[in-house]
Amino acid sequence: MSNTPEEKIKHLDEMTLLLYIERQLDRARGLEVSAHTQECDTCRTLLRAMERESRLLTRAMLEEDEPLPSRLAQFQERARKSMQWIWGVAFGLAATGAYALYTGYIQPWQQQLEQAGFGGSNLLGLLIFQGEIWKGWQSMITLLEVLAMVTLGGLAAMFFRRRIRRGSALALVFAGLCTVLAMPQGASATEIRHEERLTIAQDEVIHGDLYAAGGRIRGGGTVEGGLVGAGGDSEVYGHVLGHVLSSSGNLRVTGQVDGSVRCYAGNLLLKGKIGRNVMVAGGDINIDRDTKIGGSITSFAGHETIDGHVGRDVLAMGGQVTITGDIQGSAKIRSGELIIDSSARVGGPIDFMSDNRPQVSSGAKLASPVHYEKPKHRDDYGSVHYYIWQVIWTAAYILFGLVLFALMPKFSADAVKSAENYGASAGLGVLVGFGLPIAACIACVTVVGLFVGLATLFLWYGSLYFGAVIIGAVVGQWLMGRTSELWPLIGRMAVGVVIVRLFTIIPHVGWVFKYGAAFWGIGAISLVVYRRFQPVIAPNVPSAPYSPPMPPNTTVGGPLPA
Amino acid sequence: MGTPRPGRMNAPGIREPTEAIARARAGDAEAWGELYRDYAPAIFRFCRRALPTREDAEDATMEIFMKLKVKLVQYDAARSFSAWLYKVAANHCWDMLRRRRIRQDKETDDLENVPLEHPDPSQLELLIEQRTSAEVRKALDKLGGRARMALVMRYYSDMSYDEIADALGVRRAFVGVVLLRARHELRQALEGNTALAAGGAS
Repeated sequence: MSNTPEEKIKHLDEMTLLLYIERQLDRARGLEVSAHTQECDTCRTLLRAMERESRLLTRAMLEEDEPLPSRLAQFQERARKSMQWIWGVAFGLAATGAYALYTGYIQPWQQQLEQAGFGGSNLLGLLIFQGEIWKGWQSMITLLEVLAMVTLGGLAAMFFRRRIRRGSALALVFAGLCTVLAMPQGASATEIRHEERLTIAQDEVIHGDLYAAGGRIRGGGTVEGGLVGAGGDSEVYGHVLGHVLSSSGNLRVTGQVDGSVRCYAGNLLLKGKIGRNVMVAGGDINIDRDTKIGGSITSFAGHETIDGHVGRDVLAMGGQVTITGDIQGSAKIRSGELIIDSSARVGGPIDFMSDNRPQVSSGAKLASPVHYEKPKHRDDYGSVHYYIWQVIWTAAYILFGLVLFALMPKFSADAVKSAENYGASAGLGVLVGFGLPIAACIACVTVVGLFVGLATLFLWYGSLYFGAVIIGAVVGQWLMGRTSELWPLIGRMAVGVVIVRLFTIIPHVGWVFKYGAAFWGIGAISLVVYRRFQPVIAPNVPSAPYSPPMPPNTTVGGPLPA
Repeated sequence: MGTPRPGRMNAPGIREPTEAIARARAGDAEAWGELYRDYAPAIFRFCRRALPTREDAEDATMEIFMKLKVKLVQYDAARSFSAWLYKVAANHCWDMLRRRRIRQDKETDDLENVPLEHPDPSQLELLIEQRTSAEVRKALDKLGGRARMALVMRYYSDMSYDEIADALGVRRAFVGVVLLRARHELRQALEGNTALAAGGAS
C-alpha cells in the first residue's frame, strides 16, 4: 500500500456529487467539492461519469422518438371546440329524418301492402321474403330497430374508442354484427338438396322445409314445410304446404301452394292454386286462366298478364299490365300501359298511374271506372315540402358521413385522397358501380350466394351514399383547402355535401351530379379497398399498410398515423 | 433553483403564450386549440416517459388538458406557463400511478435510511459510454413508479427540487435520495439486471 495523497483524502460521496452537479449545494460547499475534485482523480472520474449520465438521461428524455398519436391529434380539435351540441343537433336531425321518412314514405307503403292482403308485420321483413330463410329474424328487422342498432353501435364504438384501440373497437363491432348474423341459424327439420337435375318424385313426402338448388328443378311430391329453390329452370307441380321462395330463370308453378309464392324469375308462369299471396319480380309474368290465388298479388315486372282468379287486391308495377281475369279486390297499378280486356272482372276500385291512358274494353266488368292519374315527373320546386325534404336529406348525408369519418378516419381520408385521382376513381366507379350489383344479382341465383348477394347489394347501396359524402369532402377541400386532420375534414365534408346536394336539385341536370358524385365516390372507395388488399401486410399493422414507416425522429404533430 | 428552463416544451425558442392564455381563459376556442397544438406533444412525451404504457400516456394527456381547461383560471401569469403545465401533468401522472398502486414496496419512505453503495467510477463511465438513449428509455420501463417520475420530472421537464418534492409528496431534502436511487435502479436496468439497485432493499 502506497501513501498517495489521494488515500489520505476522504472521498466525496455520490449524493454530494449529484447535488453538486444539480447545483443544489450552497456556495461554500460547492467550492469545497470543486476544489476536491480537482485534486482527487477518483472523485473527478465519478463526477465526470455522473455528468455524462445526466446528459444521457436528458438526451434520452428529450428525443422525439414517436409522433403525436392520431387519437391525440383528433382530440386537439375536440379540445378546441366542444362538439357535444353538434352531435345533439345531428342526432336530433337524424331522428327527425328517420321519423319523417318512416311516416312519409314507409308507413303509407306498408299500409298499402297490408291493405293488399300482406299480413306481414313490417315492410323489410316482407320485402326480404319473410318466411323460410329468415325464421327467427323477423322480430329484429324493422327499419327503426335497424337504425337504432346502427346508431347505438356507432355511438358505442366511438365511446369505447377512447378506452380501446380503433382496431379492437372495429373488431368488437364486427364481432357483434357477426354474432347477430349468426344467431338465426336454428331452423327446423330442413332438407338441402343440390343437384344439376333435381327431381322430387311425385310420391315423395318431405317433412319440413326443402332447400333445392340445381340447373333444372322439378318439384313433384309433397313438401310439408316451405320450399326454397334456386335454379335455371324450375317447376313446382307437387303440393307445398308452406311458402315457395324461388329465384330462377324460368319458374312454373303448376301445383298447389298453400302458403305464398315469393319469387324472382325471368319468366314466371302460375298455373295452379296458391293459398295465400303472390309477390313476384320478373321479366314476364303470366298468371294463367286456371290459376286461383287466395290472397293478393304484388308484382314488379316487364310484362304481366293476369288471367286467373285473384281473391284479394293487386298491386302491380312495371312496363305493361294486362288484366283479362278476375280480381275480387282493388287494383293499384303503376305501369307504362294498362290493358283491361272484355273478359276482365274487377271487384274493387282501380287506380292507375301512368303517362298513357288505360285501354279499357267496354265489355269489362268493373266495380267503378278506372281512376287514372298522370304522374308528376318533375320535383315540385314550388312546394315548401320539397325543400324541407332536401334539408332533411342533406342532414342525413352529413350525419352518415360524420359517423363513417369518425369510425374510419384513416379509410375516409384515404378515400378522399383517392377521389382526387380523378381518372382512376371515375373509371373504377363506373366499373364497380355497374358491375357490383350485376355480380350480386348473379350471386343471388344460388342458395348459398343469396345471402352474399343481398349483403353485397346492401353494401353497394350504402357505398353510393358514402361515395357522395366522399365527394362532398373533396369539394369542401377545393373550397377550403386541404387538411389532414379529421375534424377539419369533417367540416369540409359538411360544406361540400351541402354544395353537392344543391347541384343535385338543379332541374333536368341534377341527376347527372347526383349519380356522378355517387359513382365517382364509389370508385374512390374501391381504389382504397383495392390498394389495401394489394400488398402483403405485416400482421400487427393492418390499418396502415401503405404509409412508409415513420422515421424514428419524426417531429410530433406530423402525418396522422393509422 | 433559478436554473433557466431550456425551453423544452416544443419548438426551440417558444415564447410564453400569454396572449393565447388570456384568450383561452375568456373562452376563445381558437386560442384553446392553439395551446393544445403547441403543448400537447410535449405533455404526451412527458406522460409517455412517466407512465408504463402508450395507452396510459394518451389517456393521461387528454385528461390533463381537460383538467387544464378548468384550472387555467388558477394559472398565475407571472410564472412560466410550461413549468406550471408540467406541474399539473406531474401531479396527474403521479396520482394515476398511486391510484393503480404501481408503487412498489421498495418505494416506502424508510428508503432514505438505506445506504447506497458507492459505484466504481470507471465502471460507471464505461456503462454510460456504451448505452444509447433508446436503451435508457427502454430501461425506464423497469423502474418503479416513483423513480421513474423523479427522473422524468428532473431530466425531461427540468423541474426544481422543490417542485419535485411537492409533486411526489416528499421532503425536499429527500428529493436527492430519490433521484440518486432512481439512477442506481436505472444503472441496474441498463446492465440488464432487473434486481433492485445496488445497495437497495431486495
